[in-house]
Amino acid sequence: MIEDRAAADGLEPDVVEAVTAPEGPRKSRWIVVGVLLAVLLLLPLTRPFIGSYNYWILIATNVLMWVAMASSWNILGGYAGYISLGHAVFFGVGGYVAAVPLYYYGVSPFLTAVVGGLAAVALGLVAGLITLRTRGPAFIISTIALLFMFLLIFENSDYLGGTAGLPLPSLDLVPQEWRKAPFYYAMLIAAVGSIVLSYQVAHSKFGLGLRAIAEDETKAEVAGVPTRFYKILAFALSAFWVGFVGAMWGYSLAFARPTLFFTVAISAEMVLMAIIGGRATVAGPVIGAVLIYAVNEFSIVQFGSSEINIVIVGVLLVTVLLFFPVGIVGSLRDKGRLPAFLNWD
Amino acid sequence: MSGIVQVMIFGLLLGGVYALFASGLTLAFGVMRIVNLAHAVFIVAAAYVAFFAWEKLDIDPLLSILFIMPLFFIAGIGVYRVFFTRIEGSPRYVEMTVLLTFGVAIMVEGLLGVQFTGIFRQAKPAYLTDAFFIGDFLVPTGQFFAATLSLVLLFVLYLFLRFTRTGYGIRATMQNRDAAQLVGVNVRRVSAISFGLSAALAGASGALMSYLFPFFPFRHWQWIAILLALVVLGGMGSLKGAVIGALLLGVASSLVVDQIGLGWGPMAFYGALFGILLIRPRGLFGKEVAA
Repeated sequence: MIEDRAAADGLEPDVVEAVTAPEGPRKSRWIVVGVLLAVLLLLPLTRPFIGSYNYWILIATNVLMWVAMASSWNILGGYAGYISLGHAVFFGVGGYVAAVPLYYYGVSPFLTAVVGGLAAVALGLVAGLITLRTRGPAFIISTIALLFMFLLIFENSDYLGGTAGLPLPSLDLVPQEWRKAPFYYAMLIAAVGSIVLSYQVAHSKFGLGLRAIAEDETKAEVAGVPTRFYKILAFALSAFWVGFVGAMWGYSLAFARPTLFFTVAISAEMVLMAIIGGRATVAGPVIGAVLIYAVNEFSIVQFGSSEINIVIVGVLLVTVLLFFPVGIVGSLRDKGRLPAFLNWD
Repeated sequence: MSGIVQVMIFGLLLGGVYALFASGLTLAFGVMRIVNLAHAVFIVAAAYVAFFAWEKLDIDPLLSILFIMPLFFIAGIGVYRVFFTRIEGSPRYVEMTVLLTFGVAIMVEGLLGVQFTGIFRQAKPAYLTDAFFIGDFLVPTGQFFAATLSLVLLFVLYLFLRFTRTGYGIRATMQNRDAAQLVGVNVRRVSAISFGLSAALAGASGALMSYLFPFFPFRHWQWIAILLALVVLGGMGSLKGAVIGALLLGVASSLVVDQIGLGWGPMAFYGALFGILLIRPRGLFGKEVAA
């Protein structure tokens, strides 16, 4: 099948040989995925057996959320090489698009989360039309400005609750002790959805175009890649699941507040996770999200202060950039030691 | 009408200070093509130095620049040597500087938070609440001092770049790095000095921030957002553009605050940024910015 598609894309057979992994590991990685998915699907049912169930299910929910966010960021920041430091804006927009109908009309975010994602996509399209007129640093700067502009708008809007935000009712359709499960499954859908999206992009002509843009935009343009259209599409696609999880997250916290959503720290985490795991790879952001979330959780438990956690995040980012700029998956791949279950590119 | 003139006076005083805040940022980009996302956190760090010098040692924030600037000059050279000599010549260098300084900013922010906690600080020298009149118009003394000092420092910077040998080297490197190297400019040394100067300007900015704008570690993000908007408006790497952009946006944001409301001031910066990206992506005075 891969040969067919490669032939359709006009690649030489020997090139196909080089990029096609041996058949054995390709099967084994599906086994790993199947087992992992089964475990993740059954996890909430372990409630009667695990003492600190509420803690672990919350951790798992958050990890899945960050997997979705880092994988989404990677579509623009990894494949296309356009660093966005403002992706938290989509998180916030998704959060509020779900929070407002809930607060005013009692509409459940489980119904509106998709709308939150679509609103993020719409914002991505509009913002992309403006900001993607520039390249490199000016683009990055405009994404930061976008984030702070939205923070300003939301903090100064009475309808949206201003700086205090909107208090939200908690989920009451489900018995108290099972209340965390629906959020868990929503985040699981987002994580799987974003990984599938990332994989589809990586293995499409569109993804090839994005990589060409990351490599050398001028050459890509000369070679006939519709760079502007691709970049804007990448920006919009990378927004969807971030908006979706934002909607779920606000509901699970039971309030929406501008400074919780529209914050550089959330953007920073996405960037760090994708980079430390390995930019422009499918598995990298997933590994990065799990790893960084574990580090955050550990340092908060260990040191009890978020300031020290901030220092650790900064040190990690700088260290990785200086010494392992291609991240974990990239470094392993370069050494030829990437296990098959992490090789999805 | 006179109300508008009064607002514009406030705006110009503010713009003069913004010009100093942004000058180091634009210098670092112009000479080394470093987009320094940590510039504002350097300013906040300097504000802490000035604040504690004022609180513990009773040193006036305006005088404290005499030791803060040399201190930050040396620190800046250190930062340059540790972080930026390593990534010279790496592919996608500019993007690398953004990510690297992003990390440095987070790191310094965290360290400031650990050391000084998140509470608001503000030095309160006697002239902070003073004001005098020019004709019918009110001029707050503290802001007048700050704007004057900013413009003096920027003028000294201009003289330095215009008339000293190192200044020639810096300007040559700004215009064309490779050509400067060819004619014998020690580009590495010039880069280190420029980054030191950029940090020293952040130091002076911090001294002014310590009494003009209440600050805490996290605040630097809001500052870097508006300073970057300002620098893009003026044209990245153009000092003239930064100064003109700062004065324009100082006035514009004062008008926004006056007409719309206190919280909306920074909107002038973001509005200007997106407006300029739509009309003229390279900024008012900038050269084409390539990745």
